[in-house]
Amino acid sequence: MSIPDYMQCAEDHQTVLVVVQPVGIVPEDEFFRIYKRITSVAQVSIRDSQRNLYIRYRHHYLPENNEWGDFQTHRKVVGLISVTTCGSAKEWPQTSDRFHCQKDVFGATLYDSRLLVFGLQGEIAEQQRTDVAFYPSYDDCPDVEKRVEDFVESIFIVLESKRLDRATDKSGDKIPLLCVPFEKKDFVGLDTDSRHYKKCCQGRMRKHVGDLCLQAGMLQDALVHYHMAVELLRSVNDFLWLGAALEGLCSASVIFHYPGGTAGKASGREPSLARGQGQAADTGKRHRPGAQEVLIDPGALTANGISADTSSEIGRAKNCLGPEDIIEKYKESISYYGKYKNAGVIELEACVKAVRVLAIQKRVMEASEFLQNAVYINLGQLSEEEKIQRYSILSELYHLIGFHRKSAFFKRVAAMQCVAPTIPEPGWRACYKLLLETLPGYSLCLDPKDFSKGSHRGWAAVQVRLLHELVYASRRMGNPGLSVRHLSFLLQTMLDLLSDQEKKEVTQSLENYTSKCPGGMEVLTLPDGLKLPPVPLSKLPIVRSVKLLDLPVSLRPHKQKGLLENNLSSKSPFIYSPIIMHTRGEERTKKIEFRWVQGDVCEVQLMVYNPMPFELRVEHMGLLTSGVEFEALPAALSLPAESGLYPVTLVGVPRTAGNININGYHTSVFGVTSDCLLDGLPSVRTSGCVVEVIPSLPRLQLSTSLPRSAHPLRPSKEELSSSVSVQLFNGETQQLTITLENIGSEDLETLEVTSKTCNTKEKLFGEFLSWDLEEAVSQLPLKPGQSVTLTVNVKVRLDFSGGENLLQDLNDDGISVTGLPISSPLRQVLKPRAETKALGSESSKTDYNHVKTLEAVMTFKYSGGAGKVEGYYRHLSLGVHVDVEPSVFFTRVSTLPATRTRQCHLLLDVFNSTEHELMVSANNNQDLVLHPSECQRPAAGSSRGEPSLYRSMSLVGMNTSHYVLSI
Amino acid sequence: MHQVRLQIKGSDEARYSYSIDVQISAVLQYWSKPKNYPLFIRSVPVQNELKFHYTVHTSLDVVEEKISAVGKAMADQRELYLGLLYPTEDYKVYGYVTNSKVKFVIVVDSSNTSLRDNEIRSMFRKLHNSFTDVMCNPFYNPGDTIQSKAFDSIVSAMMVQAS
Repeated sequence: MSIPDYMQCAEDHQTVLVVVQPVGIVPEDEFFRIYKRITSVAQVSIRDSQRNLYIRYRHHYLPENNEWGDFQTHRKVVGLISVTTCGSAKEWPQTSDRFHCQKDVFGATLYDSRLLVFGLQGEIAEQQRTDVAFYPSYDDCPDVEKRVEDFVESIFIVLESKRLDRATDKSGDKIPLLCVPFEKKDFVGLDTDSRHYKKCCQGRMRKHVGDLCLQAGMLQDALVHYHMAVELLRSVNDFLWLGAALEGLCSASVIFHYPGGTAGKASGREPSLARGQGQAADTGKRHRPGAQEVLIDPGALTANGISADTSSEIGRAKNCLGPEDIIEKYKESISYYGKYKNAGVIELEACVKAVRVLAIQKRVMEASEFLQNAVYINLGQLSEEEKIQRYSILSELYHLIGFHRKSAFFKRVAAMQCVAPTIPEPGWRACYKLLLETLPGYSLCLDPKDFSKGSHRGWAAVQVRLLHELVYASRRMGNPGLSVRHLSFLLQTMLDLLSDQEKKEVTQSLENYTSKCPGGMEVLTLPDGLKLPPVPLSKLPIVRSVKLLDLPVSLRPHKQKGLLENNLSSKSPFIYSPIIMHTRGEERTKKIEFRWVQGDVCEVQLMVYNPMPFELRVEHMGLLTSGVEFEALPAALSLPAESGLYPVTLVGVPRTAGNININGYHTSVFGVTSDCLLDGLPSVRTSGCVVEVIPSLPRLQLSTSLPRSAHPLRPSKEELSSSVSVQLFNGETQQLTITLENIGSEDLETLEVTSKTCNTKEKLFGEFLSWDLEEAVSQLPLKPGQSVTLTVNVKVRLDFSGGENLLQDLNDDGISVTGLPISSPLRQVLKPRAETKALGSESSKTDYNHVKTLEAVMTFKYSGGAGKVEGYYRHLSLGVHVDVEPSVFFTRVSTLPATRTRQCHLLLDVFNSTEHELMVSANNNQDLVLHPSECQRPAAGSSRGEPSLYRSMSLVGMNTSHYVLSI
Repeated sequence: MHQVRLQIKGSDEARYSYSIDVQISAVLQYWSKPKNYPLFIRSVPVQNELKFHYTVHTSLDVVEEKISAVGKAMADQRELYLGLLYPTEDYKVYGYVTNSKVKFVIVVDSSNTSLRDNEIRSMFRKLHNSFTDVMCNPFYNPGDTIQSKAFDSIVSAMMVQAS
């Protein structure tokens, strides 16, 4: 007997073994359908005795094991049911022969046998035979169960007679010695008359009778017989059988205490008894204190006198072992078995049974000791398959007692055994399956979502190892898809725990696998139904923040004021409420202030970094969105090794209007494409992911005839789309041609132009910017690609008076001074133009700059298309920067007495600093023409009688300057 | 040449070390499968370290069983030293659990007869003291792997002594 039955449990001792086998050619599925129906008759209550007979069915049983039938009768095949197909009457004799052959295999031990013939009709089938049943087909056999019940009853009759037979001839002359196969040669030539030998025979027979009683449903009798057997065998030191008697005693007690069975899920005797283990244990407890109940056990009372001789002698309650004792006895029995090398299987099975009992008793520590012992039982040369089976069952038992880690350990050993180098055809598939089963023991779950919740928890070293093994097994299985999935999982969840070298290796192998089978986002389903969720590689690269970017200034849409107010008022009836409508944790779904426009390129900025010690190439990085049809424009990037935060801008074009939700991003790294959803990445900071996309608007491009300004306007409160700069002399007018081209896809329908002068410090005369919009508006609507021009007159008229320096000059010079060198302001002006600015800052000590600037912003509001209907518009703004220089300088002032005392002449040296001719007009309307860089001396009359003010001189086309002169 | 391995691991439960008894027991039930993870592992022959990972990992089953076996009411008077967890072919595995459910495991070569129960017990006590010092460090985050040099040197000294 070499192959242990690991599924055995204590209550199997009360069953009778029936083998169901196919004869000849029987389709497997048909056979198992019939087998299933047969096995449904697992318990038969015998009519007259109120006793129950339990049947254990096997469709495969080694005749070798059958030889141990005397040792423990539940190992003995007592019934045979053969299932056969027989097409015609001609085949019948052959089939019948085969059946008889099969009967001979177990011949010695069989009590009865049956043959179920399917498919045969006609004369032969008409015969009424007890041992053969004919059915026309596999589908038409209504009374199979009934037949089996009859069969079981006939077995019971034989069993009962055997029991009576053995029980009564205990005092008979010669009791045969029962022995196990390996003992047979030991007894050759032994003195059969010795007392020792006789006692031995007696004890073994007692034990045998005990077994039979147990099988026949007479628990109490069995207990008594076992007790007597133990006593007898102990006295003769027949350890093997003593062990068996003790085990029988244990089994009977277990059956009594735990009617629910100890096998757990494996076999519930009947629906009402097939309870969970926990309940079974409860039943056990309930039974324990009330052991006296046993006195009215119906099973024992009906045993018409046969058992009376024994059971009345010893109190029944005493016979039954308490839960503590059961374990003690199991230990003892196992230690006796351990003395015999050939009884390894029996010992192992006893261990397994004891563990099952302990599991129900919830005595985990002791159970683990039994299991520990079972590990060391040497069964000689085991085939690889047996080893796997053994490790698997150890794992299962450890699981049963709640040692999940041990269980996982043995399962892993079993998995490794499947692919041991000694096996010619390694079972990678089985190995993989077993490895998967170890996952819970190592607190691993293949769903990456579990990991993103917090930092890593669990025994990293063993987990990494296990994942590597999974990868390898799946590869050898020929399923690179699984390898890729496991490797991705390894990278994703264990990244922080891998060394740099390991990171390199893992990614290299990942690249190798993905070259064969690219990794994707689909759920992989294994043949046994296990689903492997996709693993998005959200750590390659790690994204720290996601920020949606507003459109560039010139493209930002604005809402018409009137409509906006409507919106606000409908929101809440209150103008102000202290209650802030907070929606906590809704940050992600928080709406963002700005809007995107359909058809325009929108940007999202991610801050990413590469945690790997080498350059990371990310391909097809794009946005994942919902709500709006969105055309993502993927980007490829390459991040240097262990880079710091690196900004990446992902772009896309919304194709429809509505609310767009940025759900995440898509990457392709090492050939694994992943969709990383922001919901699953708590570490990502974001200021909101929902943005409104409004219908499309036209786009205008602005170009001007003037050069672009290098320096932005100083008071840059408003962001400008562009600005121009020009230098003008005071009083000069320049035309600025603005070309507006519609570069969008929508018609431009409305256009409004406004302007605003920025610096109000300077006193400005007249209109700075003037234009005529009529012509431009008449060209609307502007189709895409068309352009419209607008001419703007830039006119500067500034007040340059109040130059203190000049006045000082005047004072210094006094009235009499003539022919003074050119005063300082002039010198400045004479310098080349390009340097004016720099010089201006240089001469800031005097805090006087002749160049004045004038700035204005022109705003072009425009709208069109679907966006206009919704009330949106865009605006372009053009900054106009004008440096104004004075066109004339009064270089010298002097007075001349006039003819009348009340008057005097004021002499002014006027210098034209421009390159143009200019007209100077004074209040007496004398025009003076000044040629470029020419100095003239007009005399202006001054009247003393009037308030001591020097009257102004008017320079043609320019503003008036006041000079205060006290006389 | 005897080999000694010292391993210490903690669990999530360590976080609850400041709560009162009743809560601890509640936590125990709540964490029906607490994910234990190593805080510190050290073995003398560095090769084949994974094997000890497995040994210690599986020993946790026994540790957990031993802790839960002690009645809840007795939790505060519980003996911290758990004794021999289980013998394997080559090694003996001893366990120790602090009141905050931080587990210490020592794996000793079974041929090392110089280390008896008393020696192991005192080793654990030393370890526990040193671990307490680590926990007193305000810069140590309970639950992080231990990187303290002082702790490391005590462990090393103990292993030298034992071998």
